Amino acid sequence: MRRNSRGSWLLAIALAAVAAALPLAFLRNQYNLILLTTVALYGVLTSAWNIIGGMAGQLDLSAGAYLGLGAYTTATLLLRWNITPWVGMFAGGVVAMGFAFLVGFPLFRFRIREVWYALSSSALVVVLQVVFLLWKQVGGPMERLLPSASFSLYNLRFQSYLPYYYIMLVLLLATLFIAYRIRTRRLGYYLLALGDNEDAAEVLGVDARGSKLKALVIYAFLVGITGGLYACIYGFVHTSFFSPTISMEVAILGIVGGLGIIYGPLLATVILVTGRELLRAGLGGRLQSLYLVIYAVVLILIALLRPRGLASLLGAWRKERR
Amino acid sequence: MSRSRLVLVLMLGLLVVVSGVFAAPKQLVVGCLEPLTGSYAVFGTEAKIGMEIAIQHINAAGGIKSLGGATLKLVAEDCGESPDTAKLSAESLISKNKPVAILGLYISRLTIPVSEVTDRNKVILVADALADNLTQIGRRYLFRPSANAGQYGASAVEFVVDIAKKKGVAVNRVAIINEDSSFGHSVAMGAVNAALKNKLTIVYQKEYPYDLSDATAIVSDIVAAKPDVVFHCPYFMDAILFAKTIREGGRIPKFVAGMGACGYADANSIESMGDTDNFYTNTYGYNPEKDNAANKKFVADFKAKTGHIPSDAPGMNYYAMWVLKEALELSGKLFPKDPLKPDNLREAFLKLEITSGPAVDTFPSASIRFNSTGDNPDAKAVVMQVLDGQTRVVWPFETAQAQAVFPRPDASKY
Repeated sequence: MRRNSRGSWLLAIALAAVAAALPLAFLRNQYNLILLTTVALYGVLTSAWNIIGGMAGQLDLSAGAYLGLGAYTTATLLLRWNITPWVGMFAGGVVAMGFAFLVGFPLFRFRIREVWYALSSSALVVVLQVVFLLWKQVGGPMERLLPSASFSLYNLRFQSYLPYYYIMLVLLLATLFIAYRIRTRRLGYYLLALGDNEDAAEVLGVDARGSKLKALVIYAFLVGITGGLYACIYGFVHTSFFSPTISMEVAILGIVGGLGIIYGPLLATVILVTGRELLRAGLGGRLQSLYLVIYAVVLILIALLRPRGLASLLGAWRKERR
Repeated sequence: MSRSRLVLVLMLGLLVVVSGVFAAPKQLVVGCLEPLTGSYAVFGTEAKIGMEIAIQHINAAGGIKSLGGATLKLVAEDCGESPDTAKLSAESLISKNKPVAILGLYISRLTIPVSEVTDRNKVILVADALADNLTQIGRRYLFRPSANAGQYGASAVEFVVDIAKKKGVAVNRVAIINEDSSFGHSVAMGAVNAALKNKLTIVYQKEYPYDLSDATAIVSDIVAAKPDVVFHCPYFMDAILFAKTIREGGRIPKFVAGMGACGYADANSIESMGDTDNFYTNTYGYNPEKDNAANKKFVADFKAKTGHIPSDAPGMNYYAMWVLKEALELSGKLFPKDPLKPDNLREAFLKLEITSGPAVDTFPSASIRFNSTGDNPDAKAVVMQVLDGQTRVVWPFETAQAQAVFPRPDASKY
């Protein structure tokens, strides 16, 4: 058992090293770099989602809400008070976290779960979108642009995607590490128990409300930070960042990857986001929307053939080897 | 034949072949980035068809003459509807195809991140997104031939002022309402500025979400403010909602002028509103009824392909492609050594003054040129009015096909 765990660590470090070295092979091609960055970005979102969605089993559809909050906090701090996004993105994380607490507290207090939790969390995205549209001082209908620069460390604005990729990669590793720590600590076992059968877990003395709230708040914090980076990468903020589509996508990738398995959502993101992008670039201009059909069929096939997620493929392979 | 002679012949032969390759007209790649999936796919798909037809016509007319008859080739990618897919599509298109220019994006919040990419790569972006701020953010390689959103709003106001003077109708008090997207906001700001310039009194102004389900409150507020004319920038369903609510309320202002309103004078809105849609007007960045051979040819080819006449999106991209053609032509003349160098092509865009040819024949006003921000100061929108279930161009008066009906015959006294 101990040897096995050391092996996993070595494998994880080797994979991280490969991820860090990847851009060196593609250095000159910005397309490959932005693709890597996008994959890493979605990797953070889905891995963070795994904490609340996978381990705690809450079908959360509010990633867009925390992403938008993080983006708007970062942008507003930079544009109004010239506070660097390096600080801004953490502030964004904290704002998202505070908001998640305000929302999560009553939701879990009044035992909103399952489909009702999914519905209320997805409503949150739309509500925030409208609020920021009406809040003219911060949001409003027009895009708010971040300063553009060929290279500004202070504004976190770069022409090349290389710095963004490395920042995203660090955030991804941190997210995976946090997920791993939770998974192997008491909170993780509580969450897994809650995900399996909430009533049974509560009977056994698991603090359902507190555990779920902790998971939600950590998830919101990580997504909020990502939101700050998202604003910097694309150079603006807009109310469309509160996107139900992104929220849905994050949940789908998380589920397809394998609920509660640390590397599952990341695996799904790497395969599916890359695959979809290659399909879009290859087919999108000629056979309109065919790529989305293929993508959807692949998702359905995975759900049918591997109901426990893509990660279960690796699990099966490992079992056979043993 | 001695060996050296054989070598000489072979080399001569090779030279002929090689020079033949060089002399053959080149093919220049033009990128098309449009939303081909998602909620804007309707516009993106038609915009792409407009570009395809333009390229057919340009190549059939002999390509770019100053570049030795070089032909154009369109390479399209789907830019989706989120900033991540938009940026990916731009990087992908540029890195794989090295286009001389890119047309498109239609949505301004996608054009903003992508114009950062095209500027870094020094690729010309001919934009068909209309929000004013796009040309105010210091992009060097971005050009927009068509009227911008502010000019849409201004055109609607100018039309009303002109027609009111012509018909001797007093217009002083106006209301300005718009849906609250960045486009709607820009249009309304253009109308506000034009109204103030023309010394009109704005008695009511409102922004509302395009998916509102009940317009009664806003309409009764408008009626209470007693405007002579209402300027409205709606989306589609809300336009219908407002028109019906105004009619049912029975208190109808002298005139309701749409601006950038796809819901007032399009074929679809006439179909869904019936005679409620009569006398409504709207501003357009393309005039399908402009009477000349080039425009008729485009309309006929578009109709053959899709079954209906071209709307704004394909029209704007049709003349945008011709503008690009003229710029390439000029660059070939000004910089014969290196016409495709991005800065030379940009210079050519800035020096353009198109007053004849298919670009202007299909353009709503009489000339196309660019100021340093990339906007066309001569751009104007045309105004079309629904008359007996048909849309007719009523302004500018020089190109009008029909007399505008003004004020509305069913207008009521407050």
